[in-house]
Amino acid sequence: MNTVTLKVNGKPASADIEARMHLADFLRDTQNLTGTHIGCEHGVCGACTILVDGVPTRSCITFAVACEQAEVTTVEGLDADEVATELRAAFSKEHGLQCGYCTPGMIVSARDVVLRMQEPTEHEIRVAMSGNLCRCTGYVGIVRAIQGVIAARRARGIAAIPGGDHRKALGPAGSGHATASANGTATRIRTSPAAPALAAATPAKAAAAPRQEADWKPQTTFTESFVVGHPVDEVWAFFDRIGEVASCLPGASLAGEPVDGHVEGQIRIKVGPISAEFQGVADVSRDEATRTGTINGSGKDKRSNSATRGLIGYAVKPGDKPGETRVDVSIGYTLTGVLAQFGRSGLVQDVAGRLIAAFVKNLEAKLSHQSGGGDAEAPPVITELDAGSLVSSVILGRIKRFFAALFGRR
Amino acid sequence: MKPVNFDYARPADVGAALALLADDTLAVKIMAGGQSLGPMLNMRLVQPDLLVDIAGIEELKQVTDRPDEIVFGACITHADIEDRRVPDVTRGALPSVANGIAYRAVRNRGTVGGSLTHADPSADWISILSAVGARVTLRGPAGNRTIAVEDYMLGALEADLRPGEMLVSVTVPKLGRSARWGYYKSCRKTGEFAHAIGAFLSDPERGVSRVVIGATESRPIVVTDAQHLIGDGRAERLDRVFDSHAAAEAIAAAGMADPIDRQTHVVALRRAIERAYSA
Repeated sequence: MNTVTLKVNGKPASADIEARMHLADFLRDTQNLTGTHIGCEHGVCGACTILVDGVPTRSCITFAVACEQAEVTTVEGLDADEVATELRAAFSKEHGLQCGYCTPGMIVSARDVVLRMQEPTEHEIRVAMSGNLCRCTGYVGIVRAIQGVIAARRARGIAAIPGGDHRKALGPAGSGHATASANGTATRIRTSPAAPALAAATPAKAAAAPRQEADWKPQTTFTESFVVGHPVDEVWAFFDRIGEVASCLPGASLAGEPVDGHVEGQIRIKVGPISAEFQGVADVSRDEATRTGTINGSGKDKRSNSATRGLIGYAVKPGDKPGETRVDVSIGYTLTGVLAQFGRSGLVQDVAGRLIAAFVKNLEAKLSHQSGGGDAEAPPVITELDAGSLVSSVILGRIKRFFAALFGRR
Repeated sequence: MKPVNFDYARPADVGAALALLADDTLAVKIMAGGQSLGPMLNMRLVQPDLLVDIAGIEELKQVTDRPDEIVFGACITHADIEDRRVPDVTRGALPSVANGIAYRAVRNRGTVGGSLTHADPSADWISILSAVGARVTLRGPAGNRTIAVEDYMLGALEADLRPGEMLVSVTVPKLGRSARWGYYKSCRKTGEFAHAIGAFLSDPERGVSRVVIGATESRPIVVTDAQHLIGDGRAERLDRVFDSHAAAEAIAAAGMADPIDRQTHVVALRRAIERAYSA
């Protein structure tokens, strides 16, 4: 805990808070200023928009501690504000609100439009207000209210000031007021006792077995193909050894050997600052006649409270050249929870493409190692998917040359 | 929707920030304006042990005007550029693009350096700064290094940061008097991340002709000598010399397999060229 002091609606306001407390919670929970509303809490709906250093800011994605000594104005502080007074009258007249949940944020953003834009068209007003969502009015009344206030002010000879009249400083609004500590080093605030180690978390009990729902259809499907320089029989046999297949997939590991085509395990994926660890189960089936197989799995990431279900199909067939094998993979998945809210399908595909590229390299290395007479437990070469696997061409080239030298292959 | 509990540090200068980054026993995350990181923290997609707030560091908000380029710190905001508190040297390109990023309340805190480092392929800065030929300077234990902005993005959400490094500044060249640029992003609603971005710069005095295809779900496709796509820049109407066939081929060669995606990106580029601005 640490003391954060802001200037709220003209008066100093301080509270002992955790560093993770955002500005909206600071205002509502420690100052009882409940006029600032919280809607989506991730910067999309605009209900929490307030003024920081005189300019509109999302208070749900701005930490209070990052605004130390900044000037904050909430809707409660706009009682005597000239533009806000005109807007309140116009919102009443034009039916610019019904339930009122979005209104504090609307007033703050509308005030900014009135101050900055000289003669905006209706379209320009709608674009400028598009970061504030209203589920009651259909926006018509809100836009009309803003148009009315602008028209009246311009008629009275009050011009807009492009860029607003408040901000002169550079950098994020709210920053730069706090003095650095005397020795010029970091001001560091400890809020957490030594974090309980994540390792202590026991493997989650697997989610319900996927085999019951035969008619489940994935939300997104895409296909990938790759060629390995080994005979079909070898590759097909390899795919039957689930534990080894899993060890080729960066970040994946099994809880044990499969029983009756049923296996439990986990996969850790790291993309930029995001890391997820899916614990789950899978049913594995193979058809010798057509040399095709399916992996039907589901898993949960406890950290982000996200879940995924996936259906992977693969077909193993001879490649164009003798001694080569072509593997066609179709990946279908449905992602739910927080990760789904964030992840766009293209990003997932980019990550899956990188995972498969790493998988193929590991598979090649493993097959070469085994056919070269090595034991089955050769360590996989890429163990985690991260930035390293993106700088791939250089590193993978080196790995390939290493194996080529080791086994006399080209 | 509350972040995990983390420690917070507000270093006084870049040196102090780098010292905090050096501790590799902790998950340390740098935050500038927090407009991309904030939502990820709230959703607990990111769970750092220590958050290093660099928004107060003076050096990162400085602007240096040199004869043929301008250098601004990583913590300059979208609104600083939109409102021209940072002088424009790009014949309106950067202020115009800044004006279309997310929403004003986000632009008042979101920073150029933060956007580039977050490395979302659909973000605006990576595409327009690649088009104008900007560079970024990174500082770490081994000192400074400066690279082209398009090389800073390795892939979706992955920036080229070595251990202990951070982005400190962006360098933008001053465009020639007859330079023309264009930028178009395809969005279904305002403020959302783009589905396709097209951008170009034609600066015949400096012999520069660049085309960028952005929002590809990975790093942008940058054609550094784009004369075969948009001519030598002396034509009065660039859209008349634009070769959409060659553009489609360049996009396919860069690995975009889906024909609809390719078409969307070619159209974004054509619209960017149709809207050529000469300021």
